[in-house]
Amino acid sequence: KKSTRKSRFETGQSLWVDMDDCQDTSDGSDVEPIDQDEIFELIRSISDPEHPNSLEELRVVSAEQIEVDHNHIMVEFTPTVPHCGMSTLIGLSIRVRLLRSLPPRFKIDIRVKPGSHQSELAVNKQLNDKERVAAALENPALVETLEKCLETAGSTDHSD
Amino acid sequence: MDLTLESHIQLTAELPGHDERAWQVAWNPTKPLIASCSADKTVRLYSYRKDRQDPSKTVFSHVTTIPTGHTKTVRSIAWAPSGKTLATGSFDSNIGIWERREASDDDCDPSGSDDWECVALLEGHETECKSVAYSGTGTLLASCSRDKTVWVWEVQPDADFECMGVLMEHSQDVKCVAWHPAEEILASASYDDTIKLYVDDPSEDWYCFATLSGHGATVWSLAWAPRGDYLASSSDDLTIRIWQRTSQYTWQFIHQLKGHDRSIYSLSWGPGKGTQDNLGWLASTGSDGKINVWEISQPSQRGSSNPTLNSRLIASVSSAHDVHDVNSVQWCPRSGFEDLLSTAGDDGLVRAWKIIPSSSRE
Repeated sequence: KKSTRKSRFETGQSLWVDMDDCQDTSDGSDVEPIDQDEIFELIRSISDPEHPNSLEELRVVSAEQIEVDHNHIMVEFTPTVPHCGMSTLIGLSIRVRLLRSLPPRFKIDIRVKPGSHQSELAVNKQLNDKERVAAALENPALVETLEKCLETAGSTDHSD
Repeated sequence: MDLTLESHIQLTAELPGHDERAWQVAWNPTKPLIASCSADKTVRLYSYRKDRQDPSKTVFSHVTTIPTGHTKTVRSIAWAPSGKTLATGSFDSNIGIWERREASDDDCDPSGSDDWECVALLEGHETECKSVAYSGTGTLLASCSRDKTVWVWEVQPDADFECMGVLMEHSQDVKCVAWHPAEEILASASYDDTIKLYVDDPSEDWYCFATLSGHGATVWSLAWAPRGDYLASSSDDLTIRIWQRTSQYTWQFIHQLKGHDRSIYSLSWGPGKGTQDNLGWLASTGSDGKINVWEISQPSQRGSSNPTLNSRLIASVSSAHDVHDVNSVQWCPRSGFEDLLSTAGDDGLVRAWKIIPSSSRE
């Protein structure tokens, strides 16, 4: 069955269009408040780059780890192991998912849960460096991997 | 707009056209031209002039768009001091050198469009080139990259460039290079949170003579004071630092400015207008979408044991590019336009702004 709860920020520019979503999504200029559950809804079904599971199933992301303050969003995630080499890719997939789904007024910061990764500072620094993120998104090999992780985003069919 | 400040920042022109994020603006130092570069891989050129009816206004018009041929984002642009040559630094790791093709004898193309050609392509960086800058005399070009290196190129006749040095001092990406306005001193700012200063040793190669530490995060931008006695730097740590030259090869932290609540991506230090008694105007901008203009001055009593510097916020505007990040700010370097600023934003727009004393508001 399809999940009934969808973000009102899902628009044509996102990766997928949910046919069940009957909410009016045409008015992007409408300033609506957004909460952590809506952000979580956008990222829970992103696939882990190394496992056949979603970030939610692996407990990499959770609604409690998302803070929304006015137009600022902070998403914390928990790498599966402290030496996880995929952490920057996971963080990048979360960032790209939110960039594509949310109106541009949101400033997004991404970080790993404090103490959860041996290169915590380096991972955080890279994920929040706009220039590095922009350059990464012009790297075809990386984008291909990223799109695979994002293919499942929005589909919550297998979550219950 | 903050009405308590002595000046305000008035929008003079909005220059659309880029399909993607605009990264940098660069005023031509000798001609009424401004260039912008973008993730859309193009460079756009606009001319400007004072309005005939109302000389307080400046009118901009699109001149041409250079497709560049870079295969990735054009991150950085810099004019040579002659105003005849433009350098582009791209995420494709190359640097393009552009000149306007001489008018042909029959002068069949009076429109002047589409006549910028790539006269040289400088290859050498292994990864994204992030910044390019010409020295004050135009004889040297510096570039930097995510490959952690800074390259110094000698500009030779007939668009020939020779690499004079590859400086591998930084431990991480180099974000910005900036030349001292008068001397051949190069500064670089990095993701490793430091700033390095370099000179040419006549008997040896280029070398790093100073490292300026103090920022707590990536240093994004550098701006020399017009007289060259100070260097300003901006960072992800949300501060701007000013470093004072205390001897030929010694630079010391002297002053800190706070006024942004997200990364400060760009700085520009101009002479200011009608302000002979101070060190000029420092403009800053960044991810918070704000433009701040600070007047920098020396305290009246000098020579004390603890040198100090004064800064005063004289103008500020929020949401300069609506909700978007502002990536670049630059003062117009031409005489008579010292109160003119331009910015480039994530909305793909270039905007021109004028500093207007609040008392003269209508």
